[in-house]
Amino acid sequence: MGKWYGYRRPDGQVGCRNYTLVLSATVYANSTVERVANTIYGAIPITHHLGRCQTKSDLKMTFDVLCGMAKNPNVGGVVIVDHFREDLCNIDEMAEEISKSGKLIETVNIRDVGGAINGTADATRKAMYMTRELSTYQREEVDISEFLFGLNCGTSDTTSGIASNPALGFCSDRIVKEGGRSILAEFPELMGAEPWLKAKAINEEVARKIDSEIDAYEQRIYATGEDIRGSQPTGDNIAGGISTIEEKSLGGAKKSGSAPIQDVIGYARVPGKAPGVYMMNTPGHGAESITGIAAAGSQLMVFSTGGGHTISHPIMPTIKITGNINSWQRMNDTVDLDLSGILAGTMSLEEAGDVIYNEVVATLNGKMTKADILLERTGFAIHRVGLSI
Amino acid sequence: MAVKVAYVVDEAKDNVATILSNDIKKGMTIPVTFDGQEQQITVSADILYGHKVAIRPITKGGTILKYGLSIGDAMVDIAVGEHVHIHNIEPVRGRGDLHADKKGSAF
Repeated sequence: MGKWYGYRRPDGQVGCRNYTLVLSATVYANSTVERVANTIYGAIPITHHLGRCQTKSDLKMTFDVLCGMAKNPNVGGVVIVDHFREDLCNIDEMAEEISKSGKLIETVNIRDVGGAINGTADATRKAMYMTRELSTYQREEVDISEFLFGLNCGTSDTTSGIASNPALGFCSDRIVKEGGRSILAEFPELMGAEPWLKAKAINEEVARKIDSEIDAYEQRIYATGEDIRGSQPTGDNIAGGISTIEEKSLGGAKKSGSAPIQDVIGYARVPGKAPGVYMMNTPGHGAESITGIAAAGSQLMVFSTGGGHTISHPIMPTIKITGNINSWQRMNDTVDLDLSGILAGTMSLEEAGDVIYNEVVATLNGKMTKADILLERTGFAIHRVGLSI
Repeated sequence: MAVKVAYVVDEAKDNVATILSNDIKKGMTIPVTFDGQEQQITVSADILYGHKVAIRPITKGGTILKYGLSIGDAMVDIAVGEHVHIHNIEPVRGRGDLHADKKGSAF
């Protein structure tokens, strides 16, 4: 059974990082959050354009995602910055929700302290003391069963479905065998792969949910009256040889390997405890999808990219892999693992799965991804369904 | 898998292979393994790395098979050796343009 070294949190979860998070509760706190995070060693800023003038269901999704960022075990403590006090998405309600994790929490309301300069000073001081306290935390040895593994792909090409995705499936299977859990997401990109997925569902109810939730996405596409080609598959998918959404889906689903599918869960929802694969209903949009996975508490993700990619989540280390030798050469500065040996005949899919597994464990233990070192943080975005109002 | 210039996922069912070479030009004959043996396919177009080539004849409206499952339908008759992509195959799923009658029903 595999082991790794992580930070045990008061709620029992284990993180692979020990971040001070500076979190914006609303679009109008973003600049203060950026100033504070730029001043504090190792602090991670999370900013966004939401938190007000949304439908109530979307506002709840924003709230859940922002709280999920703070509750993710990679975060040791959070300084939340707010500008006013919006119903349903404000620092008081966020602090109350996040406090269930037992973590260090500080809040700053820009208006209450007399503006952006005072807010910056107040939040910077709080973040400084918090970071000093977090620096005393130590890693401890834990089992792979404490790991919630995020799976995603993007800028896929036809090598994704025959090389990097099935190799990632072998890695996921190994993690599940050792008691861990994986999340498969991107529901519109599973259209056409339902039979393959349902064969792995633990029961009829889960199989029915796979069908109904993918169908719900398809019905919403019908409602647009649009031909989605160009958006699904995307322009980069088509350039990479993927012709249809079905071809993309069948390749994408391979990330989930052969392990049983335990359940279908909503965006940013926390999965159950049983080892296995959980399917999270996220959109194909990469940053929105991986943010939903991070909000569920995933400590680390492997992002499979035939075409090469820059994406990286700010609080969830994002290991990027490719099976395409051209993409490895072109996008070498942000792709971490070269799996082109699969198609060159020098590496089996199982061997490639072990290469990924070893990189996952090393990264859980503290090894940095290229994108982490470059401060690439393009992987945060909050999904929304309805209007701005 | 061994070094291949073209790869068939489900050798018993698929009617397309994925090109794994940067050098496939119109008129070249390439080895493709399916139905249990290596066969020679002459390609009728330049085909980019990662793009597909037909390894069995496909009639208009016929199903394109990869991974042993449908990846869409043929818009025209496709001969062995032809480049298979968005110009001659189309998805069946997610076709909002073919379901205009349902427009607005999901909101």
